[in-house]
Amino acid sequence: MDKQPAREDDWVVVSRNLVELVRRHHEQGAPTALDVLKEAMDQNGEITDDDRRLAAERSGLPEATVHGVSTFYEDLLVPRGRRHVRVCTGTACFAATGDAHVDELAGGLGLSLGERSDDGSLSLAETVCLGYCHASPAVRDGDVIDAGPDAIERVLADAAKPAPEPLVESLLDEPVLIRTGDWSGLRKALAETTPELLLEEVKAAEVRGRGGAGFPAGAKWEFARNAEGEPKFIVANGDEGDPGSYIDKVLMEDNPHLFLEGMALAGFAVGASHGFVLVRSEYPRSKPELEDAIFHAHTEGLLGEDILGSGFSFDITVIEGAGSYVVGEETALLACLQGLRGTVSARPPFPAQRGLHGLPTVVNNIETLANIPFIASHGAEAYRALSPGATAGTKLVCFNERFERPGAFEVPFGMTVRELCEDVAGGMRDGRSVKAVQIGGPLGGILPASRLDAVFDFEPLVAEGCMVGHGGIVAFDDRTDMRDVARHLLHFGADESCGKCFPCRIGLRRAHEMFVSNAPVERVSLEELLEALELGSLCAHGSGMPAPIRSLLAHFPEELGLA
Amino acid sequence: MSDRFDSTVTTTCGYCGVGCRLEAHARDGRIASISPALDGPANNGHTCLKGRFAHQFSRHRNRLTAPLIREHGGFRIATWEEALHRVVSELSRIRDDHGPDAIAGLASSRATNEDCYVMQRLMRAAIGTHNIDNCSRVCHSPTSFALRKSFGLSGATGSFEDIDAADAAIIIGANPTEGHPVAGARIKQATLRGMQLVTIDPRRIELADYAVLHLSPRPGTNAAVMLGLAHVVARDGLVDHDFLSARTEGYAEVEDLLGDYTPEEVSRITGVPAHDLERAAHIYAEAGDASIIWGLGVTEHLYGSEVVRLICNLALMTGKVGRRGSALLPFRGQNNVQGSSDMGALPDTFTAYRSVGDEEVARAFEERWGVTMKRERGLKIPEMFDAAVAGDLKAMYIFGEDVAQTDPNTKHVEAALESLDFLVCQDIFENETTKYADVILPASSFLEKTGTFTNAERRIQLVEPAIEPPGAARTDFDIITTISRELGHDMGFETPADAMREIAEMTPDFAGVTFQRVGRRGLQWPVAPDGTDSPILYEDEFILPGGRAQLAALPYKPPGSAASDEYPLILVTGRRLQHYNAGTMTRRTGNLDLVSSDWLEMHPADAAKLGIVSGDRAEVRSVVGAIEIEVLVTERIEPGHVFTAFHFPEIRTNLLIGASADVNTSCPEYKVVAVAVTPIGRAAGVPQLETAAT
Amino acid sequence: MIRIKIDGEETLVEAGTTVLDAARGLGREIPTLCFDDRQDAFGACRVCLVGIEGAPGPMASCTTPVRDGMKVDTLDPASRRVATAVVELVLSELPRPPAEHTELAQISRMLDVGTPRWPGEQHDVKKHDESHPYLAFHHELCISCGRCVRACDEVQGTFALTATGRGFGANVAAGLDEGFRASACVSCGACADTCPTDAITEMSLLQLADPEPVR
Repeated sequence: MDKQPAREDDWVVVSRNLVELVRRHHEQGAPTALDVLKEAMDQNGEITDDDRRLAAERSGLPEATVHGVSTFYEDLLVPRGRRHVRVCTGTACFAATGDAHVDELAGGLGLSLGERSDDGSLSLAETVCLGYCHASPAVRDGDVIDAGPDAIERVLADAAKPAPEPLVESLLDEPVLIRTGDWSGLRKALAETTPELLLEEVKAAEVRGRGGAGFPAGAKWEFARNAEGEPKFIVANGDEGDPGSYIDKVLMEDNPHLFLEGMALAGFAVGASHGFVLVRSEYPRSKPELEDAIFHAHTEGLLGEDILGSGFSFDITVIEGAGSYVVGEETALLACLQGLRGTVSARPPFPAQRGLHGLPTVVNNIETLANIPFIASHGAEAYRALSPGATAGTKLVCFNERFERPGAFEVPFGMTVRELCEDVAGGMRDGRSVKAVQIGGPLGGILPASRLDAVFDFEPLVAEGCMVGHGGIVAFDDRTDMRDVARHLLHFGADESCGKCFPCRIGLRRAHEMFVSNAPVERVSLEELLEALELGSLCAHGSGMPAPIRSLLAHFPEELGLA
Repeated sequence: MSDRFDSTVTTTCGYCGVGCRLEAHARDGRIASISPALDGPANNGHTCLKGRFAHQFSRHRNRLTAPLIREHGGFRIATWEEALHRVVSELSRIRDDHGPDAIAGLASSRATNEDCYVMQRLMRAAIGTHNIDNCSRVCHSPTSFALRKSFGLSGATGSFEDIDAADAAIIIGANPTEGHPVAGARIKQATLRGMQLVTIDPRRIELADYAVLHLSPRPGTNAAVMLGLAHVVARDGLVDHDFLSARTEGYAEVEDLLGDYTPEEVSRITGVPAHDLERAAHIYAEAGDASIIWGLGVTEHLYGSEVVRLICNLALMTGKVGRRGSALLPFRGQNNVQGSSDMGALPDTFTAYRSVGDEEVARAFEERWGVTMKRERGLKIPEMFDAAVAGDLKAMYIFGEDVAQTDPNTKHVEAALESLDFLVCQDIFENETTKYADVILPASSFLEKTGTFTNAERRIQLVEPAIEPPGAARTDFDIITTISRELGHDMGFETPADAMREIAEMTPDFAGVTFQRVGRRGLQWPVAPDGTDSPILYEDEFILPGGRAQLAALPYKPPGSAASDEYPLILVTGRRLQHYNAGTMTRRTGNLDLVSSDWLEMHPADAAKLGIVSGDRAEVRSVVGAIEIEVLVTERIEPGHVFTAFHFPEIRTNLLIGASADVNTSCPEYKVVAVAVTPIGRAAGVPQLETAAT
Repeated sequence: MIRIKIDGEETLVEAGTTVLDAARGLGREIPTLCFDDRQDAFGACRVCLVGIEGAPGPMASCTTPVRDGMKVDTLDPASRRVATAVVELVLSELPRPPAEHTELAQISRMLDVGTPRWPGEQHDVKKHDESHPYLAFHHELCISCGRCVRACDEVQGTFALTATGRGFGANVAAGLDEGFRASACVSCGACADTCPTDAITEMSLLQLADPEPVR
């Protein structure tokens, strides 16, 4: 089934009317409803109907629509005390403590998750994930993110200290993704090539999206280039919501120039004049770092009007999200950028035809964009040669705290998972052994220790019921109860469901209920439910959740409490 | 569905001029629910709160269910025999003693085409007078007059569908989201798809928020606005000269006149910024296809008919008429105001606006009906009241009209009704007018009759009864044909379909109309003998001599009312979404629960000067009368103006409206009344003293 | 024009037509729950699934445009299995079965849906909104199909309704969850007309069904 977008007149992404209202008010400089609601939350610690009315007035959106937005995003839902503590319940933190840290913290503070003390001084909320998976468990106390075995203790003593940043290394002699961005690719492209030729080069490089779907970036760019509508946009997906993954965090906070350059190159090739980066609110450092980098790029004349005298203009705005995993899906992301509910839309039309404000938009993952400067500088062939006999380019992978050397590593495609786990990350710490490894995020399949010789690349992992995903590698050691893993993943899945499509909205809840109750799980019933989820869901959230459960059914059936 | 309901009938709504097709579901002889018909050509599966929900009036306990005869200052129930006998004998006596012209009839613009047709036949053939009129007199008669003069036919030049195909549109003097909700919704959707809308209204109507431009001219200055737009079109080379020379006459005189109406001059007259006027003209003229929509905010003025001619001028100058997307759409207020006039319930025309003085047509009707008729026109409604007060008009037969509430100059109307020797009212509820009746005949609502309505896009649509008239009430068609027969003129119609047969036979524009052909999609007249109807008019020629449209060189003249020291504010009247005209029907439904009273809209600057805040009660006084009403302070109205509706008899807004009326058609100037507003209980500016006793 | 085959029968349709419209044009019955012809397609219910040759799995026919040479199987077993499972899931979240005349009940009958395989938590029987003279909102019957929200958006243009919450807690609210009366609602009834479960319905119809309405 080819993915050519259909000729369309009447198709919609989100609500045509709401998108149009957002566009009109954006043109007049109005904030989005989400902007105003976040501000109210930041200032007052809660959102009242008056805040909603104000958001409606300032954004130009209907009151009901604003109400809907205010009830969707995690950040807007939990009332905040003067001291607001957020504990991470992501998979890496779960793998480290079995969630004991959550109970310890809740017990110590005397609050349950989502509760605020009566005097308004203190509140506790759940958050997924803070991106400190290398040092789990992690806790965010106000704006300080602490992580490590004594983090909870420190927070309870009101002595949180900033967690250490992860190790970041490349296996390549000449790092591609972690070299400091120097805008040389853009300089070269503007001086020596045309948008059409750059596009051809990117297509020839066979860059596959790094966010999880693996869709060829060049093809996406071409659709947008050929689509009707002005202006066009490049959107960088910095909503790295996968628990266990901190790759984009590293790129955004330690090396923003590289992918920002990639965005500008995308703009050049596609004919877009503006870019947006959606960063998740769980990474509070990302936005300030990015805005700083953008400011510097401006002063160097690398962003803005008529860059380096080429006639090409491009600018970038950073928008912060408000707590929703599904917003990492491209149509939901665009909805969030427009300040609407982050629900998924049917495709076609694809964002390349009708995206932000109904106009052609390229949505690329941060890491994907970080690959582009190399191609612009060195060409498609050199890029393909980085991983001979495997998917072109390199990949950043990251490891959780269970490993001896947890960190973010740039590796070529084609190594085995065992090599990655043992040689690169040094195997399990504390003398423990690997029980199972989940690759690519919470929707990725799970490899038992016996199958770690699988090759880390797109097709080989699919053959194992797994995926490259975004590259997060989370190990469960021998202490882990795999039924708990099932419950944990399904809790996450159900919690993050956007609620639009029926299989996911109801089915994930039912699947979670099966593993929460003490009753044995009927295998056939579970498998029928998984089939409905996999084949029926609107997006990869619902359709992807069965994968790890199936891995567990295949490799750890005796632990799941089946009937 | 069938287990919940006993029957479902597809019919046409009796509220506004959109003419939604509805599925009326009945159970146990009452309406259980109404849903929109998915294939309704004007509404496409949508409707509004009136069509959908406001049907409980049909079985309200106040429904007239038996004839009433006046006795001892009150009314007593009578049998039909007695009541009809009284009516017939009184009308016969007055006709014999004072002549047929001492009697006048008023047809209901909410009744069916067939009802109105038999009413005018009764007046002309059974009584022998042309004194028959309908309430379009007080709303769109200026439109009818002007469209006939400019283009030839009295109706919209296109359909609601043209809104979907328009690149731009002007709405002037109409508030569709309240008066024609389904059409208003359609316009809103079109604007969100990119249609460039310009709204022109002293109030910032809801659609102004979706428009690219809103103009707020002073009430009564619409003509200057239209002349200004035309001026800019001519000045900036946007005239379609090919169209003008091929298909019109009269541009030379217009061109001469336009020189005076520079944007600066128009700005001085209207208060509209010159730049906005220029922009509006360009938006309209440069669009590929553009339509113009207007309502009573244009017609209910001293020079309303002239403004409509100027609207036609603008369309002709830019060639934007006679094709899809470029339509002139007068939003007719009531469900059958188009049809009641089409049917000749007018003092000066037979069906399809053919003059009573037209020898050929008059002879044809004389022959058909077996009577002779005068060639001079009869009385228009305002003339009827004048004649009554003067003692020349002795009797009236009014059906489906509450003139004492909805007509202007209420005191004069009341005096007129009082002075009649005999008044017959035929209606579904007692109202302000029936208070003066000698006989009240209980009639049927739209849910209880058969026939057709013609909506604002000239679409004749079927009306089918979902329930029976309650008690001893009868259908209007039945009552009128019976009275006619007992007056000595048996029309020979068994059913409304029979009446339509005659209408079709006697009227070339309706030649192909049969109930069967009307079917579910209706027919837009003119309808050819083979049933082909006309969604778009004037594609090839206008219906005037030579096939050419007529431009009119009409200068601006000030309105009948102007603000003065004594009456410093201008009152504009209009409609609210939840209620309908006199509120006879809607006030007897759950709609009253939603909106139980009316209010006066006033700008904060004016309110501050008077020391009024929202919620205060105020007295509103004009030269002819005064009312009391609650005030709402809002920025949607312009300073210097106030606005209210006319749905509540307790408020009797029309007491304020004087005799000023359109020069050509006598349509009252409801939209410009100079008033003074005073907070109740204190003179302006004098502080209230609060004591324990107060 | 595009040539496609539906259940072996060939048909010619315009580009931009959906598989659902093409199939219905041929008289094929495809069940839907979140689809209303007066609105843009939404793709939420996943009941209109059909098999398309070469596709990776069942496709939602309401949001799939036709392509030249496409071969559609409206009775594809996997599609029907999933559609039936979806309807079962929907029935499992409602505290009481849908009234017979509702679309949900009709679709259940059409797909011959039996006892839900996955019982679990149901919607809270929240406070009913019956403050409006005409429109009643029984939130526990809402299946978040979005049709009412879209009717108020795409047909009426008043935007008085919104989806709220997310995941299993998703529902619909009027205004700032203040009920129809206090919201921007203009009482046109388009929402009640399109609701497939009578979560939104007419007060007068409630009284018809049950002369002693539940409060």
